[in-house]
Parts: sequence; structure tokens; C-alpha cells
Amino acid sequence: MVARLEKRKLRDFDWLLTLLALAISLFGTWMIWNAVPDAPYWKKQLIGIGVSTVVMLAVAFTDYRKIIHIAPAFYAFGLFLLVIVLIPGIGLKINGQRCWIGVPGLGQFQPSEFVKIPTVLMLARYFGRHRGSVLTFREMLVGGGILALPVALILLEPDPGQALTYFPLLAVILFLSAIRMWMVVAALALSFVLVPAGWYAGVKTGKIKSYQQERVKVILDPENADRRGYGYHTWQSILTVGKGGLWGSDTKGAASQSQLKFLPEPQTDFIFAVVAENTGFAGCILLLLAYAVLLTKLIHGARRAPDRTGMLVIMAIVGGLAFQIFVNAGMALGMLPVIGVPLPLMSAGLSAILSTSVAIGFAISIRLRRFVN
Amino acid sequence: MKFEDDTQNLKVRMVIIHGLVIAILAVLGARLYFLQVINGDYYSERAENQRVRRLRIPAPRGAIFASDGKTILVDSRSTYNIILAGEDMKGKDLSDFVAPLSEGLDVAPDILRERFEQAGRQAAFEELTVKEGATNADIAWVEAHTLELPMLLIREQPQRRYPEKGTLAHVLGYVGEISPEQLKQPKFKENTENPYRSGDIVGQEGLESTYDRYLRGQDGYREVEVDSRGRIQRELSVAPPQPGQDIVTTIDLDLQLTAEEQLRNSPNKRGVIVVMEPQSGEILVMASYPTFDPNLFSQRIGTPEGRKEANALLRDPTTPMFNRAIRGRYPPGSTWKIPMAVAGLQQGAITLKNSHLACGGGIQVGNKFTRCMGSHGSPDLHVAIRHSCDGYFYRLGLKMGLDGIMKMVDEFDLNKRTGVDLPHELVSWTPSREFKARFTPKNGDPTWKDIDTVYASFGQVYDFVTPLAMLRAQAAVANGGRLYVPHLLKEARPVKGVGPFPERPRQTFDRPDPKLLDIPADQHQLVVGGMWGVVNEPGGTGGAARIEGFDIAGKTGTAQVVGLGKDTGKNKDHSWFVSYAPAWKPEIAMIALIENVGFGGRFAAPAVHNIYNTYLSKAHPELAPKAAPGASTEVAKR
Repeated sequence: MVARLEKRKLRDFDWLLTLLALAISLFGTWMIWNAVPDAPYWKKQLIGIGVSTVVMLAVAFTDYRKIIHIAPAFYAFGLFLLVIVLIPGIGLKINGQRCWIGVPGLGQFQPSEFVKIPTVLMLARYFGRHRGSVLTFREMLVGGGILALPVALILLEPDPGQALTYFPLLAVILFLSAIRMWMVVAALALSFVLVPAGWYAGVKTGKIKSYQQERVKVILDPENADRRGYGYHTWQSILTVGKGGLWGSDTKGAASQSQLKFLPEPQTDFIFAVVAENTGFAGCILLLLAYAVLLTKLIHGARRAPDRTGMLVIMAIVGGLAFQIFVNAGMALGMLPVIGVPLPLMSAGLSAILSTSVAIGFAISIRLRRFVN
Repeated sequence: MKFEDDTQNLKVRMVIIHGLVIAILAVLGARLYFLQVINGDYYSERAENQRVRRLRIPAPRGAIFASDGKTILVDSRSTYNIILAGEDMKGKDLSDFVAPLSEGLDVAPDILRERFEQAGRQAAFEELTVKEGATNADIAWVEAHTLELPMLLIREQPQRRYPEKGTLAHVLGYVGEISPEQLKQPKFKENTENPYRSGDIVGQEGLESTYDRYLRGQDGYREVEVDSRGRIQRELSVAPPQPGQDIVTTIDLDLQLTAEEQLRNSPNKRGVIVVMEPQSGEILVMASYPTFDPNLFSQRIGTPEGRKEANALLRDPTTPMFNRAIRGRYPPGSTWKIPMAVAGLQQGAITLKNSHLACGGGIQVGNKFTRCMGSHGSPDLHVAIRHSCDGYFYRLGLKMGLDGIMKMVDEFDLNKRTGVDLPHELVSWTPSREFKARFTPKNGDPTWKDIDTVYASFGQVYDFVTPLAMLRAQAAVANGGRLYVPHLLKEARPVKGVGPFPERPRQTFDRPDPKLLDIPADQHQLVVGGMWGVVNEPGGTGGAARIEGFDIAGKTGTAQVVGLGKDTGKNKDHSWFVSYAPAWKPEIAMIALIENVGFGGRFAAPAVHNIYNTYLSKAHPELAPKAAPGASTEVAKR
């Protein structure tokens, strides 16, 4: 019986998804090496990929329903981590943000990356019950509460970029939990009006500081913005991307934007610009295609999920990943202001790759159990 | 789908999410296409521009030699400048740098502020000089602060070194940084072969200015790759500079020094001496006093003291910056009589057979009597020149008339620039009806009268010539009628081609053929004879210049600065002496003007005597007097 189950598991295991994720992250390591060949990031990343692959397989072969069952415990533990990271002495302050916990012997990790998973599980658990009717106001309130706790703690670090990545998780789950369509349309319409109006009011009243205005101005008109001040990152990233051309540009020696340190944070926030510089339009499109296939495979898995909860977990993961890809690449391409959001599977950083791997592990696990009951 | 849940079209909603995901990726792809495929070249160039920086390697400027081709008059030595360079600093507030730089490098804050301001106004400003002539301590300070002030660089800067004591200052001129105004002038703007850029050191005066195109080299450059903080990562390419052409002048330094000594020892230390080779127009000496130190402009002008010094120079009433040889307009006094004599013979006012005119102790024109300095009876031309008889030349002038005098002026080019290869030469003022009309006071009579002709004929009132123009005319008398263009350039030496810069060939002064004056040999003989008599015959006014065995011909002149009777103190007459030698086969011609000392024979002639001695000791040592050259200065001091 056990042997049969294992055999079937191996047959049903989503090899393509696993290999795709592995390929993207190895491609990312190559880019990290391109960006900063002399720094140890690419080596650390390789180790991270190794650890992540093991963790991903472990999660994949674990019955997700058991984990969902104890999701509240994970969620509580996650919140606990987010609280202790704020305590000076435990949380490390880097660039004015206290979002790292140092672990002796292991380096440091970022709880806000991991807490996404218990948050998704918690939301999926709550909204995963059989639905017979439209979403109630009460349910929305509870969902909002589940999200608000970690988001509020992350904002205290403060890491608004990371906090932002939590919202699509809830948005996707609400959308798939029979929220009334008119509410979705109304919310979209309202934001189309309120965002520009709020911007205008903020600028007029001075609530939005001039450096914040510059960050937006550089998106709208990079040529005329303050390219040496607040617009520097965006402008340099645009240059780096453009320089790549169709097939990538010569970055041998020290001719690369990142190695000359014109491009800041090339191994994390601006890894997409490094891809663009090294492999050109061709390489970037391939990467985007790889993401498209990955996300499409995940959505297909969601459709075949054995239950609502599983479907919601995968779809929330899809929403989170797509949002991060868009924010990170959009920032590198000068379409969005600079927000520190890692590019899934690509950016250097153990926490990021590990949490993404865990998420994908869940997706695989859910798919594995499509024929069970 | 495993679970049945059709509320609110779950399938449709998942498709919507899927569609959104694909749409997001498509938007990113479109943006990539725009940045990389459509505008890739543009951004690539922009990235290249911030990565690659060209650092200039200043080309050594050509040296300037004396006529022997060996004695260096001007050369360059290495000094170090501290410059502020980085990415385009335009619009950046540099005021934060003032305090640390002024303290660390010992530069006055005002000067820094001024420089920053000036640099900020320029369009594409890449660097600015913070301090010239950095000391070892300054260099150490910069090196110690590379982390905090990475935009500070040390740049080798060749600096011009001029002779001490202001020797040849007016001839050599000086170099200085090109000004924003100059950059707009066609002379600088239109040089596309070796374009001028802000910060370039160019010749500002004298030969440095005239022959800047030869002296200036082609700057080389180092193309380096820099990182975002402007630190050099590696060298991409080097193009060595092509040095400028060395220039050999016609200046004879020994004669020049002797001439300057004469002026320095003159009572007022003001005057001008020019020595010319009469058979070619080569200028052997051009000394103008008082003089100035050109090193001030090439080395010290950046310091507050240097600026103060320069301002004082410009305001000095004795005008040390002024090249009297080509910009001083003086009444020529009796030296004017030589071209008058030549023209009188040419025009037939006097003849070889009968060159006698009355002296009369002066002349009565209308109700005004203009006197002669002596009473010479009815001298012939020889005697009239020897004794500088004014009465004779009053009458000669009246016979020639204003038109005759103007014709003479025109023939000897006294109303034109000589064409010397120095900047800012002035044109002499010469007699004409317009000249009188222009300078007559409102209540005066502007029409030309006979009395005006009298004045114009002996070198006063309507005659104001530059010493160089007068010397040129006299040299033409000496050589029998060839009016050469005086010049200072013997040759610009060739320079080999370097990299992209082609070979620069040897250049010489582009000398036009001399203007030929029709002076018949017998008339020439007569005038030269008179001038020989001035120096060598008893009673000649220029006896002080005489050297045994060397036939010097000359003419004294006493230029009235103010009317007769008031000529004392600082209003004393200017003392002139024009001469050449040997009289019948001239090798050397010179003019000396000592300001405000009185009679020409007393100061200018002895000064010239000493220069001839120096000349003889070099060219004809057998003729040189036995006395040491040093002793000759005694004469001038007397």
C-alpha cells in the first residue's frame, strides 16, 4: 500500500513545475554572478537553492491538509516572529529597517517573507469552507483582520514594500470567494478616481514630500527628473535595461552598469535590469515566458485542487508571485516607483527563495492529492 | 474542478485572474521592447557616456628661442593643479565645498566661490581648477581625502616660465586661461582642427598670442572607465599629445639686454628701443620700459596677491603693460626730417644741385614767428640735417605743401600699421586736413593753414608716430628704398606627427615683398651723408653715438611734449635717436626714445652708442672698443 502510494506520488509529481522553478533560480544565480562576481552572493544563493529544493520536496510530499489544520499555530508563530524582529538586539537594523533576525551559524532571515505562507494558509482555511452564498461583510472583515495583523507589524519595521505584497493575497482570495462583482468594479473605479485625487491633494497640501514627488516624477518623465537625486535608481535602471538591446550587451571586464556601481542593489532589487543588460530583450522575454508557464501551471493545478482550500492557497500564491514580478520588473523598467520587493526565484536572498519554494511546494502537494477523495 | 462551487462563476473568475497574470507579463514585455529594441541605442550611448571619461593630457606648449636657436626665452615646467571633476556638476550646489577646500588647500574662500560661480554658468562644465601650483602638502592633503572628496584630482599642468625682470615682456607676451568671451570670438571659435575648450591655456599677448596656433600643441587624452563615484577602474585607450612647435625669434638677447639696461638706467626709466636688421625687417631688439613680469599672468594670477598685483599694473600711470614700440604714438621731432628730406628731393622741392634753403633763425607765418634752435644761414641739406636746422625744414615743408607731406607719409607707410607680428599695433597719426578738423577745439579754426604745414614739417603737433613705424621708414632710407615688414618670427620648428595628429611643417614669417620706394642713388647718397655727419662731423647733434671705425649714420630728435618754455620736469621733451650702420652698407638700424628727458642728442644717442658696442663685440670684434661693455652704462647715467 505504502509502496503503491509512493509510486503514484512520483508519477503524479509535477516535475515540470519543479524543474522550471529550479531553472529560473539557477538562471537568477548566474545573473547574480554577473552583477557582482566578486561578492559571495551567488555562492550563498546556490546553497539557498539547494536547501530550498529539499524543503520544497519535503513540503510537496507532506499532506497540505494536515498543515492547514494547524495553520493557526503557524500563523501565531509567524506573528510572534514579526513581533520579536522589532525588538532591538534580536532584530537587525539595516538601512533604517529592522526586518532581519540573526540566527547564529545560519546568517539572518526575514520573517516578513515567511509569514506570507501562514497568512495564505490562514486565509485559505477561513475562506475554504463550502460556499453556498455570496461573501458576507463579516467574512470580509475577518479576512481583512487576518491580513492586517502581519501587515501592521511589517509596517512597524518599517518595510512598506514587503507589506504591499500581502494585499494581493487577500484580494485574490476575496475575488474567488464570491465577492460581489459590482464591489470589485466599484473598488477599481474608486481607486482610479481616488489615487490621482489623493495625489493631487497630497501635493497641494504638502503631505507628499518633494522627494516622494520626485520618485513619481522620474517615472512619468525620467529625462527631466532629478536624475542624480531621488530619480537616480530609476534612471540608472532604465539605462541598464536599454543598454542590453536585443541580444544583451558586452559586460566583460568592468563595462557593466552593476559592476561600475551605477546600478544600485543589482543582485536584489534590480536583478531584472541585470538580466536585461546581460541577455537583452531575448533573455528577458524568455524569463517572462518562463514565469508565464510557471504561473499557468500553478493555475491549472488550482483548478484540479481536491478542495476549495487548496485552490485558494495556490491562487493566492499565484497572485502574490505575479504581483511581485510586476512590481519588481516594473520598477526596473521605470514604470513603477522604487519599492524594495524581490523578484521571485531570482533576487539574491535566502528568505525570499526559501519562502517561494515553500509556496511552490504547497502547490505541488495540493496537486499531488487531486485524486485523493 | 473537484469541488462543486458555482457561486459567482468561480471558473470565470479564475480565467480572469489567469488573463490578468498574462496581461501583466505582456505589459512588461511591451515595455522591454520599447526600452531595449526601440530605444536601446540611445540608452546604450547614455550609459556609455557616464562610464567612459576622457581625461586630457595637456600638450606641452612650444618653447620660444632667441635668434641663435639655442637660448631659451620661454619654456614650460611642470606644476600641479588641483581640479574638481566629476560627472556633470552643473546645477549642483558647490558651496559646501568652499569651507573644506579653502581650509585644506589654503585658497581664499572668495576665489573659490568666484570660480564655482563662473563654472556654474558654463553650459557643459566638466571640471574646474581649485588651485594652481599645488605644493607637496596640497597634493598630500588631496590624496588623504580621496574618500570624502573623490572628485578632487591632481592634474599635471605645464606652466610658462618667462625671463626675469620683465625682459622681453612686451614681445613674448604671456599665456592665460581662455575667457568665456574669447571662446565666442571667431579667432578661437573657428579653429576646428584644434578646437579651444574652456580651461585651455592660450596666448593672451605678444608672440604667445600671435603664434598661438604654432605654439599650442594638440592635447592627448586618456580614455578611462569610471564607476559611479568617478573612480577610475581601468584605462581604455591613450592618445599621446602632440607638442606645440618651438619658435625661433629674431631677437638677439645680448642686444636686448643691453637695450633694456639703457632704459632701466635712463632718468625716468621710461622709453623704447627697437633694433632692426634693415635688409630684412627682422627685429633684433624690442625693449619698452617700464616693463612687467609676465610670470604674474602665467603663474600667480590665481592668487589674491597676484590679482592685486595685476590690478596695480593696469592702473599704473607709467603704463608698464603698454608696448611703447607699437602702441606709443610720439611726436617724432627732428627724426621726421629724414623722410621729409628724401621726399623733398623726390618731389623736386630741393635738388641735388641746389639744396640750399634759408634758416633765418625761424619763420614768420602770418603774425606768428616759429623759431629755429640756432641760426644756420642758408644751409644745404647736408648741413641742415647735421645741425637739425628747423628753419630749413619749415621752408622745405612750405615748398612741398601739405599734399607733399601727405604723399611722403603715404610713401613711407607712416599712416599704416607696419604689419609686425604682434597684436594690438596702433596706426600713427599723421598730418591731414581731417586730422586738424577733428582735433580743433570748438572755437578754433578747423581749416588747414600754412602755419600748420610748418608744424607738420618738423615733426610736431600733427605728427604722432609709433617708434616701430619710424624705424621702418628710416631703415628704408638706410637700405636705399626697401620698406620691409618688421617681424619677430624666424621660424616655427617642425613637429612630427603623433597618432591622429599630422606632422606640422616648419613655418617662417610670411614676409611680403618689400615695398619699393623710388630713391635715386644720388639723392640717397646726399641724405645718408647728412645723417653720417650728424654722428661723425664736428657740430653734429648725434656725436655721442660715434664709434671710431664704424660709420654710424643717425638723426636726433627732440619731441615737444608741451609748448616751449614749459618743458621742464615731467613735461620735458622726449629724446629720440634713429640710426643705422655702417652708413653705406647698413647691417643694423635702431631707434631709441627716452621719455621726458630733453634734448635727443644727450640721452638717446649715448644709449644707442652702447648698443652698437655690444653689436660690434659680437659681429665685428675687431672694431669693438677696448673698454668692457659694463663701463658703457656710465654714459647713459651721466
